[in-house]
Amino acid sequence: MSKVELIVPERDVVPVTEALAASDVFHLAKSNQVVADGAARHANEWHERATTFITLEQRILNVMKSLNVDEGLPPSEQLHLIGSNVALRDIELLEQEAEGPVHEFEAAQLKLTQLQRYLSQLEPIAELDVNLGDLRNMRYTFALIGTIPVTNIDRLQSSLEHIPFVLVTLRQEDHLAVVVLFGMQRDAAILNRAARSAYLNPLHPPKGYRGTPGEAIAALKDNIARTQQRIMESQASIDRIHETRIRHLRHLLWRIRASRKLVETIAEYGRLRYTYLITGWVPECKLETLQEKVAEVSDQVVIETSPPYADERVPVVLDNPSLLKSFEGLVTNYGYPAYGELDPTPVVALTYPLVFGIMFGDVGHGLFLFLLGILLLSGAIRSLRKLAGMGGILIGCGIMAMIFGFLYGSIFGFEEILRPLWIKPLEDIMDILIAAVVAGVALLNLGMLNHIGNAALSRQWGKLFFSHNGVVGMAFYWSFIGLLVGSLIPDMPISASVFGILTVITGGLVAFSEIFEHLVDGQRPLIEGGVGTYVMQAFFELFEVVIGLLSNTLSYIRMGAFAVAHGALSLVVFIIADIVSPEKGLGYWVVVVLGNLFVIGFEGMIVAIQTLRLEYYEFFSKFFSGGGEHYHPLKLISEEGNKSYQEA
Amino acid sequence: MSPSGVTAYARVHATVRALYSYMLTFPMWESLIQAQDFDAVLNLLSKSIYAPYLELDRHLLTPRRVVYQIRRHLADVYEKLIRLTPQPGSQLLQQLWRHYEVDNLKAALRGVETGASWDAVLHLLYPMSKYITVTAEDLERVVRSRDMFQAIESISHTPYYETLVHALSRYRTEKSLFPLEVALDLTYRRSLWASIYELRGADLEHALRMIGTPLDIDNLLWAIRYRVFHHLSEQEIINYTLPMGYKVQDAHIRAIAAGDNLAEIVAHIYPGLEGLERLNLNPREGVAMLEVALQRRFIDLCKSTFIGNPFNIGIPAAYLWLNEHEIRDLTVLVEAKASHTPLDIFLPLLEFYPLLSRSTD
Repeated sequence: MSKVELIVPERDVVPVTEALAASDVFHLAKSNQVVADGAARHANEWHERATTFITLEQRILNVMKSLNVDEGLPPSEQLHLIGSNVALRDIELLEQEAEGPVHEFEAAQLKLTQLQRYLSQLEPIAELDVNLGDLRNMRYTFALIGTIPVTNIDRLQSSLEHIPFVLVTLRQEDHLAVVVLFGMQRDAAILNRAARSAYLNPLHPPKGYRGTPGEAIAALKDNIARTQQRIMESQASIDRIHETRIRHLRHLLWRIRASRKLVETIAEYGRLRYTYLITGWVPECKLETLQEKVAEVSDQVVIETSPPYADERVPVVLDNPSLLKSFEGLVTNYGYPAYGELDPTPVVALTYPLVFGIMFGDVGHGLFLFLLGILLLSGAIRSLRKLAGMGGILIGCGIMAMIFGFLYGSIFGFEEILRPLWIKPLEDIMDILIAAVVAGVALLNLGMLNHIGNAALSRQWGKLFFSHNGVVGMAFYWSFIGLLVGSLIPDMPISASVFGILTVITGGLVAFSEIFEHLVDGQRPLIEGGVGTYVMQAFFELFEVVIGLLSNTLSYIRMGAFAVAHGALSLVVFIIADIVSPEKGLGYWVVVVLGNLFVIGFEGMIVAIQTLRLEYYEFFSKFFSGGGEHYHPLKLISEEGNKSYQEA
Repeated sequence: MSPSGVTAYARVHATVRALYSYMLTFPMWESLIQAQDFDAVLNLLSKSIYAPYLELDRHLLTPRRVVYQIRRHLADVYEKLIRLTPQPGSQLLQQLWRHYEVDNLKAALRGVETGASWDAVLHLLYPMSKYITVTAEDLERVVRSRDMFQAIESISHTPYYETLVHALSRYRTEKSLFPLEVALDLTYRRSLWASIYELRGADLEHALRMIGTPLDIDNLLWAIRYRVFHHLSEQEIINYTLPMGYKVQDAHIRAIAAGDNLAEIVAHIYPGLEGLERLNLNPREGVAMLEVALQRRFIDLCKSTFIGNPFNIGIPAAYLWLNEHEIRDLTVLVEAKASHTPLDIFLPLLEFYPLLSRSTD
């Protein structure tokens, strides 16, 4: 990866940024806050332009929504900065074109809602043979028909306790009631104010709906039918605009989005007096591509490249064969490898299925996972396409489960069909547990070797030899294992006391590793703080290392335990099947099939989680820092959604 | 003290105690009040619990934005305490939290009325992201609406829709937001009051005190304002207020509506309040004074909740109110410092700070 600094004349900053995005290789780094006179003002100008584009984007989205146009896919061709005035003019034209039919549609819908509301209000008094207009114009009696929130009825009644009145509820629904308020005409002002403050909305049928409620209802129904016809006509107009403008709308939307991203990117650049300073990262092999792209748009750009200096945060590209891509997700979920650090994906692609297979050894179950993995990878089922990334992992795990299935002699839980090539976990429990620990020791050593490899790559010789997971740490681990095994097996070719001496020597080196690391790397002082404190610290550190190695190793026992559990769970399926149908009828096979599906789904998930845990906590902790940054080439079209107001 | 109360509220209590210890101290308030200018206030706040919320470029930190950012702390503590508090207390806190949602909705409707842009309205809102029924997107749609009808239709999926759509006809007739806002306030407070009665025992008792008291204050001040400032009729005052309360009963509201002596009514509800005669002599000043006095009394009540059995809903509710009052005072302070308002003008408006000084004395 090369660090690239571009010094760009002010007039070329837009085409150069477009070229950088089009090159698809430039990872933009934060500039070092270059401050020149007026730099903040320039940044603010770009920020303001970005705000304008945000507003324009919202406006065009509103038009698209009103015309039922979705965003569609981003266009494949390169998108250039659009002038905000041009975009605004376009949007205004589109808004004008859409406004008429959309407004008519909304107005018709509003009218329909109102008419339907009037209808529902009049229906309870349909039988009332009184002219509604006459009711409002009585000489001595006050009468008001209307709707009121149910919660306000009591309050209205209690507010009128000093006034003679009658409140009749004609119809009551969840929230609203249709009521008639009667009183004396001399109290009309009080009654009207009380009714209004209780949100009693008078029922005022629109013009043309005079007469009795029955007559008004008939006229309303007629008008509802006409309004529905108008809605259909407006919808047809909207559909026509939809058809003719869909491409233009989508293209404009994406161009505005690209322009917004472009100006937001420029706002982040460093600023000199007449130039911009752009800093970023490019894979060395792509440098030429970048230079060509920039040269196409400007011959005034100064491009300087340099290798990354120590401790610089350099983005990382993971470049694994397609077969291993599925396993990259497992690694990046933990963290990106730092620049110069070994990418553990190939190792994970080997160890993850292996550990899974040990715990889930069954030919049938493995075959099921294998076929499921192929199905996911093929993308044959549309709804499962999002899970295609898991396909490779399932295939790997399926193959390993089949291999261990042959070794354990198990197929769909049946232990009698195949002859085990190695052992039966359920019968040889101690053997499988010991084998699991041995496998764990091997995996931990693999982790330590990776650590040594990382230290060698970064030329940290002190770390390589003396760190807890370096050469000395590995030697201590082996000596300690030798000591343990030697004390358990008396006739070992090498005496336990030899391992004891080695353990003491390497343990001492581990305890005081900091001194040796400093010595090799030329760091001074060798000891920080007092000697007494350091010795105490070294003792506890050694203690911690021993406990850590022991717990890491014993953690792998779970591989054996899960292999046993897998067999036991399958056995339980057959026991239940025998209970359901001792004569091995249909019920027996139904239970066997469902039981196997349960084992694959439920236990398979648990084993997958346990495997991940062993990878992350036991294995990765030996060598992988995961503190890297993902290489993310600059793009003008991103998939990020709008920011919520919480983050604004 | 029931064991279930301790079990249920142990974590909530520990969290509230920790949060309580981070409230601004009296010396910090003294420094803020004496701060030279707005920048000095920002510097001081950058050493407080509000610091993480103010980590923005200086040019973005306008007074309005600072208040918005500070309110994010309130949002965080609400969300945290709602999460930690067991049911049905959690439900009550959620309902209380929606008090800000109603305020946001009212602000958005005001935006529609005045034709304000979303950018202008955004930082006037309370930042809310969880336990809400009206999202930021909903509010943005409201503000961007062409008219009030479209604004209300755009939130047809929220619990406020029925209330607003019914009040819309009055808005159209009267061309005023008053009926919409009153309808929202009344509906919200009725449902908040109903939520209190989902609780039992000590929780109910504390909820009535901690939620009922601010409801009382609102209801009482509404009734007085409707009479003094708006000159509404007796029936209107009754219809625009709540029939229930903790100490303010329907009879008190009816007496205010009927034109009885204001000072006597308030003294009957809150014995010991001083200067009430001004309600009769100079009602405008009297109402403002009464509001500050009632809020200070409520702050005292919140503080007293921390004495005694702490394993009930009163503790989180009291802390949340105290935090709101601290932020209200900070809002006054930030705006005063940004506009170079003299001390003697803004100091009497602070509700929270004077009580701190008293307790320190």
